[in-house]
Amino acid sequence: MIKRRFRNIWLFFIIIGPGILSAMAGNDAGGTATYSIAGARYGYNMLWILVLVAVSLIVIQEMCARMGVVTGKGLSDLIREEFGVRITLFAMLVLLAANIAVTISEFAGIAASLEIFHISKYVSVPLVAFFIWWLILKGSYSAVEKIFFGVAFVYVSYVFSGFMAKPVWKDVLFSTIIPHFKFNREFVHLAIAMIGTTVTPWMQFYLQSSVVEKGTKKKEYRYQKWDIIAGAVIAAIIAFFIIVACGATLNQQGIVINEAADAALALRPIAGNYAAALFAIGLFASSFLGACILPLSSSYAICEAFGFENGISKKIREAPIFFGLYTLLIVIGALVVLIPNLNLIHVMVFSQTMNGILLPIILIFMLRLVNDKRLMGKYVNSRFNNLVTFITAGSLIFLSIILLISVVR
Amino acid sequence: MVVFSEMFISDLLNIPVVDHVQDPIGRVSDILVTMGETFPKVVGLIVNIKEEKKQNILLMSEIDLVGKQFVACKAVSSRICFTTLRDGEVLLARDVLDKQIVDTEGARVIRVNDLKLAKVDQEIRLIAVDIGFSGLLRRLGVLRLFGSIAKIFRKRIPDKLIGWDHVEQFKTDIVAGRIAIPHKRVEELHPADIAYIISQVHEEEKTAIFFSLSERKAAESLHELEPRLQAVLLQRLEKKKALSVLERMPADEIADVLGDMPQENTEQFLRLLKVRKSNQVRKLLTHSDETAGGLMTTEYITLPENISVDQGIKRLRELAVGAETIYYIYIINLVEKLVGVMSLRDLIVAAPESRIKDIMTKELIKVDPTDEHVKVADIISKYNLVAVPVVDKDKKILGIVTVDDVMDVVLPPISRRYRHMMG
Repeated sequence: MIKRRFRNIWLFFIIIGPGILSAMAGNDAGGTATYSIAGARYGYNMLWILVLVAVSLIVIQEMCARMGVVTGKGLSDLIREEFGVRITLFAMLVLLAANIAVTISEFAGIAASLEIFHISKYVSVPLVAFFIWWLILKGSYSAVEKIFFGVAFVYVSYVFSGFMAKPVWKDVLFSTIIPHFKFNREFVHLAIAMIGTTVTPWMQFYLQSSVVEKGTKKKEYRYQKWDIIAGAVIAAIIAFFIIVACGATLNQQGIVINEAADAALALRPIAGNYAAALFAIGLFASSFLGACILPLSSSYAICEAFGFENGISKKIREAPIFFGLYTLLIVIGALVVLIPNLNLIHVMVFSQTMNGILLPIILIFMLRLVNDKRLMGKYVNSRFNNLVTFITAGSLIFLSIILLISVVR
Repeated sequence: MVVFSEMFISDLLNIPVVDHVQDPIGRVSDILVTMGETFPKVVGLIVNIKEEKKQNILLMSEIDLVGKQFVACKAVSSRICFTTLRDGEVLLARDVLDKQIVDTEGARVIRVNDLKLAKVDQEIRLIAVDIGFSGLLRRLGVLRLFGSIAKIFRKRIPDKLIGWDHVEQFKTDIVAGRIAIPHKRVEELHPADIAYIISQVHEEEKTAIFFSLSERKAAESLHELEPRLQAVLLQRLEKKKALSVLERMPADEIADVLGDMPQENTEQFLRLLKVRKSNQVRKLLTHSDETAGGLMTTEYITLPENISVDQGIKRLRELAVGAETIYYIYIINLVEKLVGVMSLRDLIVAAPESRIKDIMTKELIKVDPTDEHVKVADIISKYNLVAVPVVDKDKKILGIVTVDDVMDVVLPPISRRYRHMMG
């Protein structure tokens, strides 16, 4: 039976998909900017944070996928069904705030990458925003997902660049294992951004919904689990090498990243004079992907929570709130980036900090849900999972407070 | 006694419960109902008592008055009898509020924003589901505020209520056992509507709805679903029921479902099916999904060329039961080669004694089993056909592709689309 063989391959891809996709999407505009600045500013000194973040990424994403498989419901559905309207409104406002921040950073990424090719943001951003809006309305989302796999290679080039820059591996290893903390505003700010860009609120909603939509069964869950772990590990490795590449080049030469072209220098060891172009292509593609996913994923989450009609297969008239929200997010994201004299790189990092500050709220919701015996049965969290999630949320709250104090002072 | 005639449960939740002498006892935390009747009866309130973690049920017989501000009991607090909650009982806030529910009149899936209670003969019953924006605002406690703002603009925030007799809930996640709620109303919907509903609800509810269907309805609805989901649902069904669902489906639809299952399950079903059908299905399974062969049905009507019209009509009556369409009749010669085609109309208007050979159309429009979907659709559309025969190299007819099968491929209904994360 010919058709069956193809179907098995297809089945493999749909099970393998969501974890890798969402973890990789974490290395978007904000991720690239944050890791680059962390490497340029502090060399290898922030690598140890990344190792810890990778562990919490694995644990948290796995939790999410497990909830999706066991309950068959998305995260916003579960929040609504278990906590009622008021708390759902609060959770959705938090998610919306975080997602608007990320959407802005994606459009900043689009603007910054095209500026490398000398295209003014006043031209590129409105055009791309309209294109994305039109693309999704036409229902070509799956095409978008495919673009993504094509661009992953740009990120792989960071791995090579990291090697070719010939870092002092002893230092790299040393910094990865031994924690190093600086009590100043910039370091704390970057630390929050680093956690916030790797483990984002939107990703939890997106991942759980995709797991549900792909209809993974409890029996197949172990494959899903490997997909999640693989995704998280790959994401962490790439982030690791972005920092190493930036540390070995920019940091050594004392270059401060003020615009995207500066960050592109980290790809010089592999791409030479084409570093800027390579960087720009990667940044553009990942920002484009993010700018497609985020507005859409936000409208889905919110409409599902409140029971408004949703789905891109519907007509605008049938699901006005869904398409309204979607359009609004794109418009806000694009408009903010058009503010004159905005430092795009700083916008990207700042939005990740915002994510990091809001993440603990979502994590607490997730912890409540995943430990509910009525909901999860024997699939409730292990003590280790709870501990890791709790520590992640705790450290973010702690860092946020320090940041707040340092800003006020 | 009940002092209101209508009330939303969001107004009732969290109001204080007092005893006969107005001493506070606790607060209302949930509402216990008995399902089974068209409009479920409220039999008690769950009361949260301070310093006690247990869920105490205050039966309606203990209650003197249910008002919008408070609930008063008949006796003094020391003499009130509480009962405890058993598994399988339905609590409105816990089990119905905020959950998904099926609106059987509109054939769609909705979310419960609020529930309306009403006094019917001295009893409180659940009468309607609020699915509107006003329900959300009421839950947030800002309905009045928004109402007066809307008034300024001379508008009203409309209630969107659906009577409880027009909704259906599929409970599956109660810990101990399932609550059996009759699913009669969904059963009465059109198979395409049932499929649409199944495609819109969560995984567990998909199963619950599908399980609740009669074998006939299940067979009719199954094919309207997204192909992969068809296989999943059928495999979850108990073997015996799954088999009798399959028996009621045409061979091409069976092949579609079985083609999406793991090999060993396909084999198992094929062995259990009636021989004639399983042979047909086996043949269909050898064709790829994306071709005419994968799309065709083997349930069509052939007549030999050498009989009279009168005999032909007689044969047709006998054969019609097992055919997907009888509008086209395919004419074969002695060595079973397809030589002509005629419509039911041609057959009926022809003189009874004339030979089929003489009135049939000899110019055949046909497709090859390896032709792509789009080509089949093009041909059907170009020649305005109801069905087109699939013919092999020896001019033998293998099956027919009907216009509705092609339509499903060209314009899939929402229920048949793969519900991607983003759509």
